[in-house]
Amino acid sequence: MERAITRTKWFFHPIFIFIFSIVALAMSLVLYIYWYMEVSAGLKEVARKFNLDHGQLLASETWVVILILSILVGIILVGIFIIFVYNQKIIQLYRLQHNFINNFTHELKTPVTSLKLYLETFMKHEFSRDDQLTYLDYMVQDVGRLSENINRILNLARIESKIYGEEFVVADLVATVEQFITNNDHLFPNCEINIHNSSGRSFAYRINLSLFEMLLMNLITNGVKYNESEKPSIDITFKLYHRRLHIRFKDNGIGIEKTEFKKIFKKFYQSGQADDMTARGSGLGLHLVQNIARIHKGKVVAQSKGRGKGSVFTVMLPFKS
Amino acid sequence: MKNIEKKRVLVIEDENHIAEGLKLNLALQGYDVIIAPDGVSGLNQWKKWQPDLIILDIMLPGIDGFSVLQSIRLEDEQVPILILSAKSASDDKVKGLSYGVDDYLAKPFNLEELLLRVERLLTHASWYRKNGDPSEIEPFSLAKTYTFGGNRIDFELSVAYCKCGEICLTEQEVRLLKLFVANKGKPISRSKLLGIGWGYTGSMTTRTVDNFIVRFRKYFEDDPKKPIYFKSLRSVGYIFDHDSN
Repeated sequence: MERAITRTKWFFHPIFIFIFSIVALAMSLVLYIYWYMEVSAGLKEVARKFNLDHGQLLASETWVVILILSILVGIILVGIFIIFVYNQKIIQLYRLQHNFINNFTHELKTPVTSLKLYLETFMKHEFSRDDQLTYLDYMVQDVGRLSENINRILNLARIESKIYGEEFVVADLVATVEQFITNNDHLFPNCEINIHNSSGRSFAYRINLSLFEMLLMNLITNGVKYNESEKPSIDITFKLYHRRLHIRFKDNGIGIEKTEFKKIFKKFYQSGQADDMTARGSGLGLHLVQNIARIHKGKVVAQSKGRGKGSVFTVMLPFKS
Repeated sequence: MKNIEKKRVLVIEDENHIAEGLKLNLALQGYDVIIAPDGVSGLNQWKKWQPDLIILDIMLPGIDGFSVLQSIRLEDEQVPILILSAKSASDDKVKGLSYGVDDYLAKPFNLEELLLRVERLLTHASWYRKNGDPSEIEPFSLAKTYTFGGNRIDFELSVAYCKCGEICLTEQEVRLLKLFVANKGKPISRSKLLGIGWGYTGSMTTRTVDNFIVRFRKYFEDDPKKPIYFKSLRSVGYIFDHDSN
């Protein structure tokens, strides 16, 4: 698709059309004024010939006409500019969405392919109970992966339409994170997760538990997923700065380029390049994280010293000590 | 038609469940199967094990499937390759076919269909093999020699005839030259060159590529400082081009 856009003839390019219409408009303004002057000069001539009172005929309205013309042209210009900006935004969104469909197709099709493969195999052959159990276990995992993907889309829709379901409750954040990690230990095998809280105190905060867990899940799975170290590790640090509570998620993964610090939070954005297939996943995870942080009146910031040097995601929440 | 020796099938697929399922079914059909979970190990297995057929996924970590395909086709035009990909757009199919894939199946696929296609591809391949010594068949669709400017490369003998006389080319130089010739006039990024030419991935020194280019320029360019055949493209990579003679 993207290639199709760049391949269209240059004179169909939106920037060219934009410049062309502005030039055309400016030229028409000059011509309007020029013709108006011409015509009024002609009229003046006629008035003089027939000895009419030209104050009555023309008054000194020339500047008024020019002013009105300029204002109208100005309004049209602003209109064109707004349409141009909107158009650019829509193209960008369209590209991101295309990206999303590409990536998410893969995420949805993979478990379906696996399920279909095993079901057809079961129809074709008979297996011992042990073998059956192995393959059935694969299928259960695939169903889990599929429902996880479906949930991610539904969650996004819920968050965007501002229906959170559960109420907000006051909970200790350190305990919540600890609890979350013990409960979901099986999802992060071979990964070392440590929690550091040098102050030793608890941080009570009003959270929506299911949303907050979604935020933790996304940040931690990212740390594990985008990680090429032999032993992935994630350090979660709680620290109070002035009136802000910082929760740092530091991993030893593949890191992030400086130019991508902000982009990665965009909806459907995927780091990596689509053409060499390094872009994977839905492009929704961090967008969700940012939205959830905002719902909790905070924000998320990404930092990294570059490719291969790990990355740090900091959740900042307003906190009065 | 009975073959005592089992046919070998290499499955290059990163999704463990799908790979295991394919292995199970292909083994039940009487094939010998090895799984490679990424492009690099896929290329290694292909070199070491000499499979009779390759089933290839496109979205692979490290080197993607299309690069694996190109890399294999630089050396072996014959081994049947079947792409199994979640990308089902006809653009992707055309891309695969233009790189020399024999068959393309979209995921989710029908098991019976896959098995029949695999069998058919293997039968076809065995016909070619019977029709004569495989070494007689041109292993690469390019001509055996290639001429540009005042230079001539003989891919078969690994010799280049250029301004400084006769040069024996290393195996790696021949691979890289074939890749440039096959992509004449099209820019190739350094990482692509590394991926297809060497089977490397990641941030491993793309300088290696630069060193080879320096050498090629010394061999083939009239003025290595002002190259006309092996040109650099800023922040893209390299492009090989010349007027057709």
